[in-house]
Amino acid sequence: MNQGRGFSIFLRFKILIRPWLFPFGIASLYGLGMVFVPENTNIALHRSVSIFLQLALPICLALIMMVVFNRFLSPAVITRFLGQSTSIKGVFLSSLAGILSMGPVYAWYPLLKNLKDKGASQFHVANFIGQRSIKPVLLPVLVICWGGYFTTLFVFVSFIGALIVAYIVSLSCSDFPEK
Amino acid sequence: MKIGIPSSEPSLEGMVESKLGVADYLIVIETDDMSFEILKGSSQSSGPGAGVQAVSLVVGMGAQVILVGYISPYISNALEKQGIEVVTQVSGSVFKAVTNYIDSRSLAVKVENKELRPGKSMPQNQWAVAIGMGLRQFYSFLPMLIGVVLLLGLFQGFVPQQTLLSLFSGSALQDSFWGACIGSILAGNPVNSYVIGKSLFSIGVGLSGVTALMLAWVNVGLIQLPAESKALGIRFALIRNIAGFAVAVMMSFVVVWFAGGSV
Repeated sequence: MNQGRGFSIFLRFKILIRPWLFPFGIASLYGLGMVFVPENTNIALHRSVSIFLQLALPICLALIMMVVFNRFLSPAVITRFLGQSTSIKGVFLSSLAGILSMGPVYAWYPLLKNLKDKGASQFHVANFIGQRSIKPVLLPVLVICWGGYFTTLFVFVSFIGALIVAYIVSLSCSDFPEK
Repeated sequence: MKIGIPSSEPSLEGMVESKLGVADYLIVIETDDMSFEILKGSSQSSGPGAGVQAVSLVVGMGAQVILVGYISPYISNALEKQGIEVVTQVSGSVFKAVTNYIDSRSLAVKVENKELRPGKSMPQNQWAVAIGMGLRQFYSFLPMLIGVVLLLGLFQGFVPQQTLLSLFSGSALQDSFWGACIGSILAGNPVNSYVIGKSLFSIGVGLSGVTALMLAWVNVGLIQLPAESKALGIRFALIRNIAGFAVAVMMSFVVVWFAGGSV
């Protein structure tokens, strides 16, 4: 019984602490810095606080957008967009799927492989991955950091860039079926 | 929700192992988006503590459910006290085991909902689920973002700007190249690239270098390359990443052209 309880406490500790090891590690460097090089550490602290303040509002907006996207979209809905033809509609839908997809890219590999095996074109798969550089939920952060004009430019070049990469991939890979 | 499973292979196509302590790999799958992380298991050669070690690994990654062939009752009891569900006698492929579990769970939820409110949907529950998922996604990148911001502060406080700028010569081509290189190596949520890019820009790094870094951050992934090659083929992965790198450099010039070098 005691063994079980000790094990439970250990598990709870690991769950809570693990993601925070990196920031705690950096914070401990600040602690050391305060002791040995207080002037530079104060500058560093002020810089960090100013970045945090700058990010607070857009990060809150990003959270709200994440909730809205989670409410109305699911991986199943998004991957359905990829099975379309190579027409303009197909390109539009695979772009939309990439833009709306969330989470790390490797999360999507099993589903993309599955779609590729079922006949989705190289273009759509590559386009999906490329369009992931446009993150609607992070647009508030991008706007606050970089301003509206740069954000518009960045989104535009990301969109066009993804299409160019997808085209190159489809040209280079279409005659070489992957194993 | 995260599910931990012992697997014979480092992919969702592997077979569910009978015990956590003997598995070569431990996979933790996020059911919201089917993303997964792979941990090296203890394998057959490990001693009697291997099972506990494996459980603490997957639970440490946030697993709330464990699917396995067999697990010792005292470990199972300890886990259930923590609110972690343990499902035993699971076999077959990892992907199948997870989808079967999700199906059985959603069926149970549907039946429960039907019993509670016959003939009515429960939109407030969907919002609650969405809020829960959003908070989990938010929490998943928050510690790293805080760490990155603190680290940037340290860099700005301790490393002279000239040192940081020495990598970026001021030549648009060279800056774009180095920016794209850094973006290709670093990984993580793109919000980190916006903050790092802004920080570099504020100390004088050219817009082309910063834009290339931000574009390559998502489009090129050296760290994910093995996983991408395995899933989509080595030719596909290589060409996509090389083209992504070249396009990141090229598009950074387009941005500089339109923005006139300033934001």
